[in-house]
Amino acid sequence: MKLFKESSIEVMLAWRNVWKNKRRTILTLLTIMVGCSMIIFFRATQDGSYEKMIEDSIAANTGHIQIHEKGFWDNQSIDYAFIPGEPLQSYLDKNSGIAATSRRVHAAGLVSFKNNTFGTLIQAVEPEREKKVSTLHTTIKPGGRYLTPDDGMRIIIGATLAKNLDAKVGDSIAMISQGFDGSIAAGNFEIVGIFRTLNPRYDQALIIMPMAQAVETFTMMGYLTSIVVRVKNTSDMEKTRDEIRALPESERLEVMGWDELTPELIQAIVMDKLFGYIFYFILLLITAFGVLNTVQMSVFERTRELGIMMAIGTRPRQIVTMVLFESMFISLMGVLLGAAVGSGLGYYFYIHPFDFSGYQKELEQFAMVTTVFPAKLTVSNVVFTSLLTFLFGVLFSIAPARRAAKLNPLKAIRQL
Amino acid sequence: MEIITIKSLIKNYDGEGLEVHALRGIDLSVRRGEFTAIAGPSGSGKTTLLNLIGGLDIPTDGTLTVAGNNLAGMSAKELSDMRLNSIGFIFQAYNLIPVLTALENVEYILLLQGVGKSERRDRSRRILKEVGLAKEIDRRPKELSGGQQQRVAVARAIVSEPELVLADEPTANLDQKTGAGLLDLMHDLNHKKNITFLFSTHDRMVMEYAERLISLTDGMIASDKKKKSLKESAEKKLKKQR
Repeated sequence: MKLFKESSIEVMLAWRNVWKNKRRTILTLLTIMVGCSMIIFFRATQDGSYEKMIEDSIAANTGHIQIHEKGFWDNQSIDYAFIPGEPLQSYLDKNSGIAATSRRVHAAGLVSFKNNTFGTLIQAVEPEREKKVSTLHTTIKPGGRYLTPDDGMRIIIGATLAKNLDAKVGDSIAMISQGFDGSIAAGNFEIVGIFRTLNPRYDQALIIMPMAQAVETFTMMGYLTSIVVRVKNTSDMEKTRDEIRALPESERLEVMGWDELTPELIQAIVMDKLFGYIFYFILLLITAFGVLNTVQMSVFERTRELGIMMAIGTRPRQIVTMVLFESMFISLMGVLLGAAVGSGLGYYFYIHPFDFSGYQKELEQFAMVTTVFPAKLTVSNVVFTSLLTFLFGVLFSIAPARRAAKLNPLKAIRQL
Repeated sequence: MEIITIKSLIKNYDGEGLEVHALRGIDLSVRRGEFTAIAGPSGSGKTTLLNLIGGLDIPTDGTLTVAGNNLAGMSAKELSDMRLNSIGFIFQAYNLIPVLTALENVEYILLLQGVGKSERRDRSRRILKEVGLAKEIDRRPKELSGGQQQRVAVARAIVSEPELVLADEPTANLDQKTGAGLLDLMHDLNHKKNITFLFSTHDRMVMEYAERLISLTDGMIASDKKKKSLKESAEKKLKKQR
């Protein structure tokens, strides 16, 4: 309060000085507003698209957490199968943060139809439980269907694989792989559905069969290669993963979060964020230089006035305070406008996301599976960006403020 | 009692490799309540002398005591405080803070001195009334004429009742009638409040108003004359001109 009282004259002078040259002030406000709003908006689109990409990746097939026998993830072999112990099963059944779990068996194999043979990744699932952890069942093309637990020798396959095999729903394809006990696992399987996901790799190589049949075909004897966990809130993934890791039997298991399961996605996000930060830094610099220029010009124009103020007893500290308050007012107003405009834009594109569905094929070439990008506006984005823009503006004004305070009153008064 | 005591004051400047001797040994005393003009042609050193007295410049040599303060060795902050509390300044033109009204410009000094709001307002209004600007208190400098602006500057210079007012060519940008009005005002204030006024000028009229006229030539005092009531003769002259 005392500080405010002491600064009241500087505050009043600063406020009036800000509006002394309205045009310049408005232009500076616009510069800050554009800089701040662009950063808020771009960060909102980045955050939104990352979240969507992660959600799409998790929802399609990965799940939030996967539990495997140690070594499975690197080798992707049926040899790394395990039977979950009671503590793990109990934790997965009773944890209120877990939305659903599904058990899977993975095996590599070959499929053949007509004269076409391709390598494939076979994934056995519990159809009803799988529907709760992945969205793959929603991507079945018309004319086909998803699996049921009683489907036996029936499978669904990726659209690209079906096309490469020249197979359609109703056709039987030959599949050969290796069983858990080292025996040959082979058979003819009828295609009941063809899926087209947002992930070209799934469409190209994935075959899904019912778990009950896989137990028989691959001689699994109660073993499985992974348990897929979907948590209720993505943000709870790390906590749940760490709790599973803390279970005694997890010593022989690998418990992986979605970030470890999709490292290429994380790398892409990290790179994108890095470029984003460079871009934001440049925007902040441009904005701050706008403020610096205005304050510098304002001080330069008032050299004589400042000289007279100092001559009649205004202390240098008061001059610094006054000039800094000027930049604070300009920065604050610009930041408030920027926060409002940036938030407005962010909200609009949250309601009306960027939709690149029409360019899906082109995006697939760049391994991009997500085509709809909603913006995600967060309080931290708005507050942090506004604060940073404000601080840059004020920090860049320290130099002209100090220069003003160091003016020699006598020389300053002589200037016209 | 002396308010200004100057002994052997020398001021040299470095001017593009050549040393300029602005003041070459000034000895001077000014008593409280004097109405003094320092006259002389351009470059004679009158503004330099005023700036040194006001603590805006540092002498090369000599001693300078103003309002009991020996200026030698005073820090910038101490000089600033001395200017705030003991000296009122009136400059040639563009004296005022443009974003403040006439009242606020006058109040500014009191605010810097930490005077409370109501007292500040009362004193500022009163002084503006005294200088004939009761109706213009809410106007900003650009809404005032040159003469009115200088009156506000006078009001600001005396509102804190300083011991000394330094006025550097206060009438230089005013017409004769307005200048005379301003000088009347300052002369009255000098008499009523016993404030010491020290002018630098080459305006004939100011010299005539002054009760003491110090002439400078080439940085030295050429003459120092005390007069009585020259204002009256000036008024007579002005009446004739009108």
